[in-house]
Amino acid sequence: MTTSHDLDEITLSIWEQVQHSADLCVKCNICTSFCPVANVTDMFPGPKFVGPQAQRFRNPHEISVDDSLDYCSGCGVCSMVCPHGVKVMEMNAKARYKLYKTKKWIPLRNRILGRSELLGWLGSPFAPIANVTLKLKPLRILIEGIMGVHRDAPMPAFSWETFRGWYQTVHKKSPQRVISDKKVVFYHACSVNYYEAFIGKAAIAVLEHNGYEVIVPKDQVCCGLPMLSNAEFDAARQNARTNINSLVRYARAGHKIVGTSSSCTLSLKSDYRHILDMDDADARLVSQQTYDICEFLLELAQAGELKTDFQPINASIPYHSPCQLRAHNMGLPAIELMELIPGIQIKHIQADCCGIAGTYGYKKEKHDISMAVGKSLFEQVKATESDVAICDSETCRWQIEHATGTKMIHPVQLLAQAYGLT
Amino acid sequence: MSLYDTVVIGAGLAGLTTACHLQNKGQRVMLIGHGVGALVLGSGCIDVLGYQPVESVEPVRAWPDKLSSFMADHPQHPYSLLGETKINEALHAFQGLTETEYQQNGSENWLVPSAVGAIHPTCLAPPSIAKGHLGDTASMLIVGFEELRDFYPALISQNISAQNLGIETESLTLNLPEPGASKLNITPIELATLFEQADFRQQLVSVIKARCQDYDRIGFPAVLGLGRHAKVVVDLEKQLGRPVFEVGTLPPSVPGRRLFEALKHTFVQAKGRMNIGTKVVAGEVKDGRVTQVQIETTNRLKPIIAENYVLATGGILGGGIQTDDQGRVWEPVFNLPIDHNSNRQTWFTPKFLSPVGQPVSSYGVVVNDRLNPIEDTRPIADNLYIVGSLLAHADWTQGRTGYGVALTTAKHVADLLG
Ligand SMILES: Cc1cc2nc3c(=O)[nH]c(=O)nc-3n(C[C@H](O)[C@H](O)[C@H](O)COP(=O)(O)OP(=O)(O)OC[C@H]3O[C@@H](n4cnc5c(N)ncnc54)[C@H](O)[C@@H]3O)c2cc1C
Ligand code: SF4
Ligand code: SF4
Repeated sequence: MTTSHDLDEITLSIWEQVQHSADLCVKCNICTSFCPVANVTDMFPGPKFVGPQAQRFRNPHEISVDDSLDYCSGCGVCSMVCPHGVKVMEMNAKARYKLYKTKKWIPLRNRILGRSELLGWLGSPFAPIANVTLKLKPLRILIEGIMGVHRDAPMPAFSWETFRGWYQTVHKKSPQRVISDKKVVFYHACSVNYYEAFIGKAAIAVLEHNGYEVIVPKDQVCCGLPMLSNAEFDAARQNARTNINSLVRYARAGHKIVGTSSSCTLSLKSDYRHILDMDDADARLVSQQTYDICEFLLELAQAGELKTDFQPINASIPYHSPCQLRAHNMGLPAIELMELIPGIQIKHIQADCCGIAGTYGYKKEKHDISMAVGKSLFEQVKATESDVAICDSETCRWQIEHATGTKMIHPVQLLAQAYGLT
Repeated sequence: MSLYDTVVIGAGLAGLTTACHLQNKGQRVMLIGHGVGALVLGSGCIDVLGYQPVESVEPVRAWPDKLSSFMADHPQHPYSLLGETKINEALHAFQGLTETEYQQNGSENWLVPSAVGAIHPTCLAPPSIAKGHLGDTASMLIVGFEELRDFYPALISQNISAQNLGIETESLTLNLPEPGASKLNITPIELATLFEQADFRQQLVSVIKARCQDYDRIGFPAVLGLGRHAKVVVDLEKQLGRPVFEVGTLPPSVPGRRLFEALKHTFVQAKGRMNIGTKVVAGEVKDGRVTQVQIETTNRLKPIIAENYVLATGGILGGGIQTDDQGRVWEPVFNLPIDHNSNRQTWFTPKFLSPVGQPVSSYGVVVNDRLNPIEDTRPIADNLYIVGSLLAHADWTQGRTGYGVALTTAKHVADLLG
């Protein structure tokens, strides 16, 4: 019989060898039947073909020929539904790197989309001007023509003030700031820093309300996922190393690292190790200490340590669980957490992917696919006739808001509201 | 604070059904599945007893009449443990779980054509499949598409004819009309979404309408829509002026997917918690009770705690039982004892599709009448329940009892816990 002693010794098994997991494939095609992209376009033959099947022909010393691979959005649905533990999405990400390596060039457009931080850094100081100009149709048509960024793809608005700027100059000096032995590290990622500082502020308010001192390391950078999914592994690794070096100090001290962006926390948890092959002790420690913010708060609730002084919110609100969140394989903590608020009805939308998949839906040739993938989700959100809907991941929020006109919020904003913190 | 009353491990039919029943009874249920299970591979029909004696080639028609002799031949089978009443209650309860009107053919099996035109005896079928019943002599035209590989209308119709059932059968293979005409190759799910488009159906009808006048009913591959399936069928029948039915394809199966989505919908609507993609890697038993299980998230093991635990991880095919080349056989989550022969030579018979099954397929967890796993005769944990094909002596290939076992054992646990 298994005992608790044995439990500690069990190691995470499935990840050990992404490529070798191709051998576990029984060709049942379950993944293909669930792949949101393969079901809406002929450009992509589906995960079984480009994943485990093509893997057998990927001689390390030969060029990669399967261009259709580029149409994989990286949503990870295939890896989730495969009953045999084949890591299809991860295999695809690695193969894409090889594909671009053999091509020896990556389009400028992809390089720019891969640098969300640079974009944010350039945009923020000019937020009012940048926000207006990026709404101008003629300019967007021009950008599409020159760079291949689709004219209708959702563009978030830049914040005037960066989140980090606010934290350093305002919050750190505020007498209300919580100082405590209970500390937690906040990994804010680009979206909070440059576009949605209000989500970072809500997260800090909720964590502080629960008695945590929140540390925001100064030397954190973009997680690197946009580069990774645009096959720029070297650049992504540089960012990964910077983050690991920054965060490992806190991890060593036993602090947990939380984030509000589900794809960025997934990078810290998994992609660095399993796609970028940076599986050293520091990377592992950072990975093990990283939490999605709702995951962290739900564990507090489970331990009886979460404050439950919620004011009722009498509303029925649709919620979409983004693919990048489901890929954490931890369940859907946001729903369980939000349902602790009295009066709330969370309507869980049944859809696998909104289509945007990070930077995928921004690309001219993929925008229509991305909108087709998200169609059922958009219809369901519209049918609820709610003014507001909830989703954990930023690019998904932007895509859904853009497609449906519904105001999108992060679960932590709802919690902050219920706590009376906003 | 324990967030759940029951944790169900495994998202095949047994796990999903148990989870739906319990959640509907007001429990807080967490369903964990490592991938989606055999449901999306199977026909979407509920087999209860298809052959008895199991080696017989004659399909069972009135299955309740044959049940007692099946139980007598298989005293350790889950049916024998739980009895006929429970089977009937389980079928009835299942019919109320989703909006799909699963139909029963009185006390007889439906005899529906399989993907190769063989007879598939099954107890409950969705209306679209039941209309292909081979016990009815109405003539049929089987329609297929060149681009849908592995579905051969001519083979199906010839095999049906060869069985002298008195059914006039013909086949018709087409190229996909617009808007699918550019495709060289199409998967069942992709074709199902095409069928949901009104213009595709219109084009199709314009091609086949004149050619189907001599037939009483028209059989299509089982791809007649996914979420809008009912509408698709009604519309085709209206346009063609005759009943339309579905014939199973090779996996993955669209009717299986519909059933999966319908059960998932029921569970989620009732506020059940679900985590698909995650493996349960260990369970802890202390003093005759399960105290927790551990799931493998992307970066660490996470404990999940509940009052009760239902193990629905399937047999060897589902991953619930592991074997190796040394002849070892084990249950990986709780390390439950599996009665087995360690000589691999004895695991198989020379015939792959043997009607008496492969001996290894009968390996499983031995339970008492509460479906608690036992060692000798004592329960190992009295808050742990085993359902579905993980049970010992529940080889679904023997007599075709697959989903019948899944539903009956799920209902039993729901009755005990709910
Ligand atoms: C190809 C095929 C077609 C079939 N067609 C039919 C049919 O048409 N009609 C019929 O009546 N019967 C059919 N059967 C038989 C039927 O599928 C089985 O009897 C039935 O599926 C058993 O259901 P189950 O829920 O017990 O197991 P499964 O469907 O095998 O499900 C097991 C589940 O447990 C999960 N799991 C396993 N280990 C773990 C773990 N450690 N942690 C978390 N999850 C885990 C699996 O991923 C899966 O979700 C078919 C079987 C096959 C293989
Ligand atoms: S990768 Fe998994 S789901 Fe896809 S065909 Fe292979 S075994 Fe099936
Ligand atoms: S990651 Fe998503 S788009 Fe890519 S193959 Fe898998 S399911 Fe399809």
